[in-house]
Amino acid sequence: MSENEFKSGFFIGGEACEGRVLVVDDEPDIRKIVKMTLQKAGYEVLEAENGEKAIEVINSGENRLLLDVVICDIRMPKINGAEAVAYFRSNYPRVPLIVLTGFPDTDMATSFLRQGVVDYLVKPVEGEKLRSAVARAIEQRELARL
Amino acid sequence: MALLALLGNSRMLKKAASGVLASLRGSTYRSVRLASSLTAALLDDLFEHPAGRSTALPHGDRLMEKSDHTKVAILGAGRGGLALLDLLHQIPSIEIVGIADRDPAAPGLPRARELRIPVTTDMPDLISNHGVSLIMDVTGDPEMEAYLHAHKPPTVDILSGSASRLLWQLVQHESKLEAELLQSEKLAGIGSFAAGVAHDINNPLQLILGLAENLAEERDLTAVHEQARDIIEAVKRTSAICRDLTHYSRRASPHENVLVSVNDKLDEALKIARYASSFHDIEMIKQYQPGAAVKGNPDELLHVLVNLITNAVHAMEHAGGTLTLETTVLDEQVGVRISDTGCGIAPDKIPEIFEPFFTTKAPGKGTGLGLYNVKTIVDKMQGKITVDSQIDKGTTFTLTFPNAEPAGQEGCLS
Ligand SMILES: Nc1ncnc2c1ncn2[C@@H]1O[C@H](COP(=O)(O)OP(=O)(O)O)[C@@H](O)[C@H]1O
Ligand SMILES: [Mg+2]
Repeated sequence: MSENEFKSGFFIGGEACEGRVLVVDDEPDIRKIVKMTLQKAGYEVLEAENGEKAIEVINSGENRLLLDVVICDIRMPKINGAEAVAYFRSNYPRVPLIVLTGFPDTDMATSFLRQGVVDYLVKPVEGEKLRSAVARAIEQRELARL
Repeated sequence: MALLALLGNSRMLKKAASGVLASLRGSTYRSVRLASSLTAALLDDLFEHPAGRSTALPHGDRLMEKSDHTKVAILGAGRGGLALLDLLHQIPSIEIVGIADRDPAAPGLPRARELRIPVTTDMPDLISNHGVSLIMDVTGDPEMEAYLHAHKPPTVDILSGSASRLLWQLVQHESKLEAELLQSEKLAGIGSFAAGVAHDINNPLQLILGLAENLAEERDLTAVHEQARDIIEAVKRTSAICRDLTHYSRRASPHENVLVSVNDKLDEALKIARYASSFHDIEMIKQYQPGAAVKGNPDELLHVLVNLITNAVHAMEHAGGTLTLETTVLDEQVGVRISDTGCGIAPDKIPEIFEPFFTTKAPGKGTGLGLYNVKTIVDKMQGKITVDSQIDKGTTFTLTFPNAEPAGQEGCLS
């Protein structure tokens, strides 16, 4: 069962966990609501308030291995979303990235998708849509592993 | 004499008129500039060098003593006279000695009384007044010119009806185009708000949607109450954005001249500027001296401050920095300082930044009209703007306005 550690569906503290998601947004409200939405579906949610913090989180301990999806805002202080996306793509190409932004911009969306971002969601996004985007991202990651 | 020579060859007037025509034809901005600078030159030559002294004073060194004022008498208080009153009384170097009309019901007379300008129906009396240096004839009476030449004191200059009218039209036209331009720059600027506004509206919307979805299933009554309150707050935040922006984008009400608190306007401008540019990584320092008040149009002053703050933030876009907003009150003057620690302006570019269309920003981001409009408004408020900049160190724009509430007055009030 050596493959199992890569699969989502591992156990944390005795509860079934669908996967570990990092949400990067400078607005505490957004982190709170995304967390609420995803926890309901059994995901474990980590938070970071900007790109710099996100990079710290992803580099700390087991997250390197166990992080399944990153959801990232674009308009943020310090290292902004676009820079964070580039960093994640080149350093953690295996972790799927979802962009969740308040400002729909087709040029930016195209460029992100070209960089390998798996989904580009515009706020406000329904819980169901967000959950299925995350599930899809994890599925793709699993497929890529096989 | 400077004035007569000017009117005699009338080259200046023709040039000014062709400027107006060109702008009428194309309505392009450059021609407004031409018309505007010619009008300014014309007014300069007419009024700032008193009749009898033809040597021009160097710019910036104009004496503004009472004895240097051009003392004007206006003949005719019909529409033309009324218009001239409105134009000339705004110019500090002009003193209107009196206005005369044979018709006591002429529309310019009540206006003159309002402005505390002496009024008479006795034309010959005003014409022979020795305190006058220039007579402007807008009676429309064909006999008047001959009469004037025969009866005026020898040192008095005459500006005929058609020249006075042209001057007035020029000024009117210029101010109309300027108002148009201000409005279009504002609307163009709103475009750059899109990202900020979308961000600030969609974030609370995300919260509202998420909470509402959760409420549909929530069983814990305390949580329900708390989340309902969160939704109400989020809705308030969202609607405040629309309120700020519609207020900002509306056309400035013309001719408004009221007492405005500069400190309040700076805070209002900050709110608006946040939509236009990202304030991330920018530290704010506010040093407001209480009671900084100026006379002017509140919407226009807001526009000035939004522009200066937005420029400052743009200048710090890449590396972040400190934005300092400062107001000072000295007896006669109110000062406003907006400083950034951004990219700075190259010394050779400084003379250009107030020119229309000068921009170093990408299309869609800069119009190059911001500082031009800033300057126009500040001039109108009889203020001054200066800039101090060092490459890679930062830039400070300083505005000084006449104090609308000098200490003496304030003392009376309190
Ligand atoms: N605070 C500032 N720091 C650096 N450069 C500035 C600043 N303010 C203005 N500028 C320069 O002056 C130019 C003209 O400014 P403005 O008239 O407001 O037009 P715009 O902002 O649309 O470019 C800017 O493009 C920029 O090069
Ligand atoms: Mg500008």
